[in-house]
Order: sequence, then structure tokens, then C-alpha cells
Amino acid sequence: MKDKIVKGKNLSSEKVSEFKKLAKWVRKKILEMAVGAGAGHIAPSFSCVEILVAIYYSGFLRINQKDSKLENRDRFILSKGHAAPALYAILADKGFFPLSDLDRFAKEGSHLGCHPEDSTPGIEIFTGSLGHGLPVGAGLALSAKLDKKRYLVAALLGDGECHEGSVWEAAMFAAQYQLNNLLAIIDHNGLSATGVLKNYLGVEPLKKKWESFGWDAVLVDGHSFEELFSVLKFASSRSSNKPLVIIALTTKGKGISFMENNPIWHYRVPKGEELEIARKELNLVNKEV
Amino acid sequence: MEHWVEGMRDSFFRSLLSEAKKNRDIVLIVADTGAICHDEFKEKLSDQYINIGIAEQNMIGVAAGLAISGKIVYVYAIVPFATMRCYEQIRVDLCCMKLPVNIVGIGAGFDYATLGATHHGTEDISLMRSLPNMTIYSPADSLTASLLAKPNRQQIGPKYIRLDRTGFPLIYNNKEDIDFSKGFSVLGKGKDLYIIATGRMVYAALQVAERLAAKSIDVGVIDLFRIKPFNQEMIWNVVKKTKRIVTLEEHFLTGGIGSAIAEMVATKKNAPILRSIGIPNQFCGIYGERKYLQKWCKLDVNGITKNIKEWVKENL
Repeated sequence: MKDKIVKGKNLSSEKVSEFKKLAKWVRKKILEMAVGAGAGHIAPSFSCVEILVAIYYSGFLRINQKDSKLENRDRFILSKGHAAPALYAILADKGFFPLSDLDRFAKEGSHLGCHPEDSTPGIEIFTGSLGHGLPVGAGLALSAKLDKKRYLVAALLGDGECHEGSVWEAAMFAAQYQLNNLLAIIDHNGLSATGVLKNYLGVEPLKKKWESFGWDAVLVDGHSFEELFSVLKFASSRSSNKPLVIIALTTKGKGISFMENNPIWHYRVPKGEELEIARKELNLVNKEV
Repeated sequence: MEHWVEGMRDSFFRSLLSEAKKNRDIVLIVADTGAICHDEFKEKLSDQYINIGIAEQNMIGVAAGLAISGKIVYVYAIVPFATMRCYEQIRVDLCCMKLPVNIVGIGAGFDYATLGATHHGTEDISLMRSLPNMTIYSPADSLTASLLAKPNRQQIGPKYIRLDRTGFPLIYNNKEDIDFSKGFSVLGKGKDLYIIATGRMVYAALQVAERLAAKSIDVGVIDLFRIKPFNQEMIWNVVKKTKRIVTLEEHFLTGGIGSAIAEMVATKKNAPILRSIGIPNQFCGIYGERKYLQKWCKLDVNGITKNIKEWVKENL
């Protein structure tokens, strides 16, 4: 099932354990933010932590926190905007805004809400409603082509988000215009807000669907840094004329046992005993949350 | 003025084509909808013309992406498809992000009469009016439409331009007669009442005013060509001394300019009484040419004249 492209082992075990530590820190911040605000999508954020860490720390995304509007920067779009807490933690760590802003997540007067807005440094577009990121990303990618600029546009979508027709309108468009500077990453955890996709509106065969829409498609383990780093390296150096989709197999709620693969945790913040278990599983002591 | 025997659509796109030749940042995206001069656009400015297919949601998203990158984007489709099919994309991608994309809708009111309710533009003003950061233009003639095609670098947020395939006889002889900073024109002062009209209904209003003058009712006509932002203060200064206001639009009575004026009147003391004339809030369910449908809902010159005459008599 895995593609050849992701077999490379160009990441040392030290590096892997460093990024695993970072991913754990991101999960900790997500839990802190959600518990502090009594709001936020923990499980959908946990699902894509490794993907986001790989995008922002592998050197794949050419961005500069000192000048977040640099003309030739690569553009990252969090199309599944409800995973905003994960992105905020990373952007704060990267220095786009102070780490202390995370403590104010979704609280009165905060600029950080449950969904990202383009007024926040490091956030490219306003998302939260699904099916918007790929069309806007296609417009950005087309702009780069028209102006002969070399930046890449990457959009992270949910697999449930692929229910939206606009995703496929954009998919057709991107193939027609040979937007090989456009990358879609699907956080393929198989769950949506209320259920298991295959039980009510299945998206499989997802890879074949994208391929039949004229895209190159690669399947990876969305929690493996080795595979993610390797596929991103491939994404920035390939020579195809087609846009590329990376389908990342993930587990919704990854990192907290009772949240994993359980749709009820799409938008729920743990309390009481649940919170104690969650903290324990993330190796947090009480005072940290 | 021989040039103006063309409708708003052709005037608009002729003007846009000449702007696009000078400014290579202009991009026109159409959703499989044509106009005479699009062929020239496609041929001479192929990098600036995209037929995005029958995919309006993607049209707005791609327009947003291009606008973020500094392109001056015009998107084009028939009114319901340019406004309703992609409403939430307009709301999030354009209004939330304050992107200066120009949404050009063709087919105001019953312009596409025989194509039926799916193609009628009867709710667009209402929908666009409720969106923050949106600007709405509803030109009354081909000259106004052609001027609206010029890009505005200062524009914040999207602009919706509601076009009609007709556009002549002209309402204005010179472009200097149209004050875009004000957003409306007083085409004649009236002691007894003012008709505030938009789009091609302005031409009807002028005809109605002439007929009512013959019955000794002195009627002023205002062309409200910019519906949002609505220039409440200046319009109020024009109409406050009259006893009656009539609003006239080829649009449902719910949420259109009648509602906008009612919202103004409701906040004023000793305001003139108001009658809103438009399309009742129902799908017509019958077919015929535009004139037939206008007559069906008493939006023809006879129907409007009769309506106002009787209302004035009841409210002397």
C-alpha cells in the first residue's frame, strides 16, 4: 500500500525523537488551550500534529517569521481550520506571535479563535468553513504561475472535507492548469464530526479519486516523521506537471487513548477523570494544564 | 450617441477589455458565461481570461487567491449563479478577508424572463446587502455600467455589479453627470413625491414621473446606483421635505432597496410615508417575455403609474 517514494530513511533516530518530543509539546499546548477556553477541537488537531510539525520544521516550507508577508514565501493553508490550535502552537513556537497568546486562546478579546483568521501573523487565509482552502490555494498557485514566481502552496484538508463539492471543482481546475506548485495533504483519519465516513458517506478509494482527477497521489503514514519528511522532500523536488496530493493515514485523537477513533471527541473538551487520564497519557503533571 | 445602442453587458466588457489591455494585473474569470467581446479577451489577453467552467464556488475561491496576490479580478456569471451558488464563498473568501474582487452578475430581475425562476435575479440585492465589507452597484444605463468596469485600486472588500442586458436609452449623457462618490443622482426634483429607483427601473421611473406630471403630481426621481454603502445622510437630505417616497426595483420586495429605504425612514422623525414597489415574494411560475412578467407583477409603466396615483389619492 505504501509508495516507494516514502521508503527513504534520511532522518536520524535522534532527529525523530526530537520531533516526537516537539509533537508531544504541541499536543500539550492544544490540551491546555482547549481546557483553558472550554472550547476547541482537540481530537481533529491531534490527528494532524505530526503533519504540521513536518511541514514547519523539515525545511519544506520557505517562510520567515520576521516577515510573514514576504512575497516569495511558500503559502500554507489550514483548510481544515478547526485544527487551528495545533497550528497556533507551532506558529507561536516559530515566533510569529508570543507564546503567551496561546494562554488567551478563544478567550475574551483574543485574536486566536477556534478557526484561523488571516489577520493573525503566519495565517494565510480565513478558514473554518470546509471546502475553501483548495480553491483559494489554486488561485494562489495560479498567481505564482502567471507572475513566474517559484513559491509553493500547500493546503491541509480533512478527509471528511472531501465531501465538499468545491474540493473537486478545485481539483479539476488545478489539473487543467497544471498547477504542479500546488500540494494538497489529506488528514485521512476516517472520521468526521459525527461518525465514521465509510458508514454514511465513504470517500474511498481516495487515492484513485485524486488520480482520476489528474493529480499525482502518494499515500503515507501521517504519524511517521520518516515518511512525512521523505514525502515533503519529494514534493519540493519533483518534476511532474501535475498537482500533488499526499494522503496521510492518521488516527483522530492520536495521543489520548479514549479519544482515538471515537467521533464523540470531535468537539469535546475532557473534564474530571477524563482530563486526569488525558494528562497522564501526555505525561503532564496537573499544574501544567 | 450611436455607441450606446449596446446593452450594459457589452458596454461593461468593452470598457473592461480596454482597461485590461493597459493593466496586465486584470484577470477576468467567467463561469461558462459569454459576452460578445469575450472572444477578443480570450484571443488577445489569453493570460488574463479564464473560463473556469460551471464551477462558481471554485470561481470565487480562485478569485480570492488571485486577489491576495495582487491581481484585479472580475468574476462573471448570471445573477443567481454569481451570487447564490457561491454565497458562502463570497462571504468567507471575499468579505471576511476584505478582498477587492469584482463580482459581475448579468440578468437583473426578469432580464432572463423566459428562462424561468432559476435564472431570475430577484434576491441578489437582499443577499449582497447583508454581507459586511460588500459594495453593491446597480447601474441604470450602459454609460454607468461602462464606468463601473474601471478598476479601483483603493477598493476594500468585494464589489457586486448587477448588470442588465439592456441599458439604453441612456439616463446620462455625460460621465460627469454621474457622481460615484455620492452613489446616487437626483434626476429631477419633486414636490409631491420622490421615486427612488435602481437599475433599469430608473428609466421606468422617469416615464412614470412624466405621466404623473400630466395628472399634476410633481414627482422627483433618484437613481440609486450604489446600494451599499448606502448614502443615507445625503439621500435623507433630498427626500426629507417631501411627503411621500416610492421605491422601485426589479427585485423581490423583501430585502431590496425598498427595505433599505424603510430602514432609513424607520429611524427618522416626521418621515415621509413610504410605498415599496417591486416583485412580490413569490416565484412567478408563468412564462413570457420580460415585459409580460413585469406586467404580471404590475412593474410595467402603466401598473406603476396606477399604483402611485391611487396611493397618492388615498394619502393626500
